[in-house]
Amino acid sequence: MSGSGIQVDRRGPQVSQPTTPARGPEAVAKGRSLLPEADAPTWFAFGFLALLILGAVLADWIPGLAKPNLEVGAFSGPPALTVNQLFGTDALGRSIVSRVLYGARTSLSIALFASAISMSAGIFLGMLAGFYRGVVERLVDLYANTLASLPPVLVILALIAAAGTSVFTITLAMGLLGIGTYARITKGAVISQAGRDYVLAARALGASDVRLLAREILPNLVPTLTAIVPPLMAGLIVTEGSLSFLGYGIPPPAPSWGGMIAGSTDLLNRFPLLIFGPILAIVLTVYSLNTVGDYMARRIDIREGQL
Amino acid sequence: MDAPTTPLRGPAGGSGPAVDDARDAALLKVRDLTVTFRRRKGSVQAVSGVSFDVARGETLGLVGESGCGKTTIGRAILRLLPQGTSATSGSIEYGGQDLGSLSSGGMRVVRRHLQMIFQDPLSSFNPRRKVWDIVAEGLVIQGVDKQEIARRVDAALADVGMSASMVEGRRPHQFSGGQCQRIAIARALALGPDLIVCDEPVASLDVSVQAHVINVLQEIREKRNLALIFISHDLAVVRNVSDRVAVMYMGKIVEIGEADHVYARPAHPYTRMLLEAVPMPDASVKLKPTSVDREMPSQSNPPSGCRFRTRCPLAARICTDVEPPLRRMPQGQLAACHFPYDEPAPGRPGPGDPGIPGDAS
Repeated sequence: MSGSGIQVDRRGPQVSQPTTPARGPEAVAKGRSLLPEADAPTWFAFGFLALLILGAVLADWIPGLAKPNLEVGAFSGPPALTVNQLFGTDALGRSIVSRVLYGARTSLSIALFASAISMSAGIFLGMLAGFYRGVVERLVDLYANTLASLPPVLVILALIAAAGTSVFTITLAMGLLGIGTYARITKGAVISQAGRDYVLAARALGASDVRLLAREILPNLVPTLTAIVPPLMAGLIVTEGSLSFLGYGIPPPAPSWGGMIAGSTDLLNRFPLLIFGPILAIVLTVYSLNTVGDYMARRIDIREGQL
Repeated sequence: MDAPTTPLRGPAGGSGPAVDDARDAALLKVRDLTVTFRRRKGSVQAVSGVSFDVARGETLGLVGESGCGKTTIGRAILRLLPQGTSATSGSIEYGGQDLGSLSSGGMRVVRRHLQMIFQDPLSSFNPRRKVWDIVAEGLVIQGVDKQEIARRVDAALADVGMSASMVEGRRPHQFSGGQCQRIAIARALALGPDLIVCDEPVASLDVSVQAHVINVLQEIREKRNLALIFISHDLAVVRNVSDRVAVMYMGKIVEIGEADHVYARPAHPYTRMLLEAVPMPDASVKLKPTSVDREMPSQSNPPSGCRFRTRCPLAARICTDVEPPLRRMPQGQLAACHFPYDEPAPGRPGPGDPGIPGDAS
């Protein structure tokens, strides 16, 4: 018939078309580099975090490193070329290097566990809200917005006043306060995924809601989450630092970055160098986490562009 | 079952007034299907009282402009419409079971028999899955045992001209559009369905690849005696694959019947308009558009009477007042029009066609 725009011929599917699928450029790049397309700041950020984590985990085994509460030198001693005195000693003669590393252990594990609490509950609630919408979504929104409208430090102070200062209380309080943020971000990501054809296709194959959420949608949330977790953890480190600075954080004499800053402010006029260790630790950690987050976000864009 | 290569073509007529070619052998019976989407402001009826049958091994083409409700019908059949924002009434019967009354568990069993192919194959694959797992997914969900899964995935891939070694370890984005659509077909085939809803399966592909994918579909259809609902806005494609054709306009079927009848002698002015819009390879054939080309009216507030009257060259008073029912036309098909055409389609070389001036052959 002359009207057809297509000529349907009777060739078999096997004869036509070369059968080698094109190789994506991604596959090639992966073999070459640990961090594809990373710039210098990104390498620095990953390197710094890796060293900090290693230092925090292995602090007990670093040769020559004093325990954080041990007096190793003069009161407010200046930096010197030994392991313990690299950043000087504090007002009680304790090694600042040692305290920064042991402080990292506290700060990082609080950030990690608080994030774990926020993420598990937040992702769960966000997935329900984004998938079922309606009443569930409104309840989750209400919860998230309520949390977001409260100043976190004040809420944590109130909780600490009620339950007493301990690493556990602080972690739990920060974890609970973070749930709303994760719920909202997850909800948005789920809404954008749930309307896609692959979810519909899985449903057409008979997938249950649980399977759709856990097997189809959740794996596709991972890129979004890897991009937002580092900056949110940076926020936790700052919050924990502020609490300790105010004296409501990690109870002394346990080392913490915020507490060290607070301790050195009294002597700031006479020994300004004291404050550098902990401040440098906080600044570099926060910077690195944010840089890593940015890098992850860039990677998502690249990957989405390749699809 | 008789010879699977002959699509069933029942005798025209002999059933209820609004349904085309209802046969005893109907695999799928859709009756008075109405789908309403709730929007923030009011609601939109995407499908209004649509009825049709699909027989085993038959291909029904569903054509119409975008937004006419073809995709909604396809999704309604598979119960894929969003439950919170849409309401479905009427009945969809598959093999004697009313799908609307099935539990989600019961529906899961039926899904082995009813499958779907989407317009954009790549977006219908989970980007984080490997191709082999994508094809196997339905079987995994349906609880088929491992050896059987491997066997059926291999068979389905072979049916679309691919093999397990070709897809081994690869992800969907490493394949071309045509290959992806064949993978999508394989995924639907793996479950061993009786009916596949193909929603614009070739619209996103290059024309050369379109023909190939359609050939694959046709071969599989004959081999497995599959029924297809082939949704497309492209009349040329639909003509090539369909036994019967249903033309939709604003949520209603305006013409339905044997593809040969509808294409040779379209009765509804809208069908004629669509056929005139198909590009003609023969430049010597001049077409005079018979229709007043205008935008489709608002879905949320359809015109009274015949919904096509605002664009129809034949519209008269009665079209505003009375909605025309689907009626049997002398040439065989059903059409919903007060002033149906009876002559062959314009510009198509046919016996005694006077409408081609200057054809010096």
